[in-house]
Amino acid sequence: MFPAFVENPENCNFEGQDPNEKIILLLRAHPITNIPWIVTSIILFILPFLTPRIMPLLGFNLSLIPQTFLLIFLIIDYLLVLIIVYEGFLYWYFNVILITNEKIVDINFQYLLYKAIDLAPLDRIEEADSVTAGIIGTIFNFGRVSIQTAGAQVAITMKDVPRPSKVADLILDLAKVPHQHQDFKGGV
Amino acid sequence: MPSTTVDLLNNGYFLFFGKVAVLILLIFYAIFSLLIVRQVDLMGKTLTTGIAPVVRVFAIIHAFVALGLIFLALSIL
Repeated sequence: MFPAFVENPENCNFEGQDPNEKIILLLRAHPITNIPWIVTSIILFILPFLTPRIMPLLGFNLSLIPQTFLLIFLIIDYLLVLIIVYEGFLYWYFNVILITNEKIVDINFQYLLYKAIDLAPLDRIEEADSVTAGIIGTIFNFGRVSIQTAGAQVAITMKDVPRPSKVADLILDLAKVPHQHQDFKGGV
Repeated sequence: MPSTTVDLLNNGYFLFFGKVAVLILLIFYAIFSLLIVRQVDLMGKTLTTGIAPVVRVFAIIHAFVALGLIFLALSIL
């Protein structure tokens, strides 16, 4: 439904896109990286069901707390679940790397009201490295891609991107002959 | 349950402070929800996709719910 590796995405534009600029590849972090906030929200979701059973074991009688307070705590708990899910999805969905026929665009929303956009023109890219590490990364085939441009140590680092070796290869191909790869269809 | 805990929960001052704490929490949450509306707007302008309007409407509804919750807490606590 919400893929992390989209070739030639439709109905997708970004701020500062030139009229003739075409998005070739859209990348997000691999969906498996969303597991921490999903687990947290599940725990918070079932917490109100477990609390009446756990509290008596700890010697605490919940019936002493007014019902209205319990209701408000319940609402706060589910609001917390809602906001964890919503923010988790937003950060995952909008933190993207776009590879266009002109440049690489790294759109990064790290925390509330913080936006960073890194741009690397394809004709200035000198090197692209990919790393797949760890058990989860190897099983699900995601990792890091680092791009070096002329005059910079590392211009853009893409973390947890799916198929990192394919992404690095595509970037190098585009950097060498940027105008011959606009119709890239290279599925794995 | 120890009698001190029972006494504490029956204490009017304790419940009053509990009410104030909940209200402060909800006010901060409402401010946070308004910031999220701005954040979603920023995200939608930076990357325009098919679901951006849906996400924006959800953020606005969420902010209204958060504001409404303050009045609900004020009325029932």
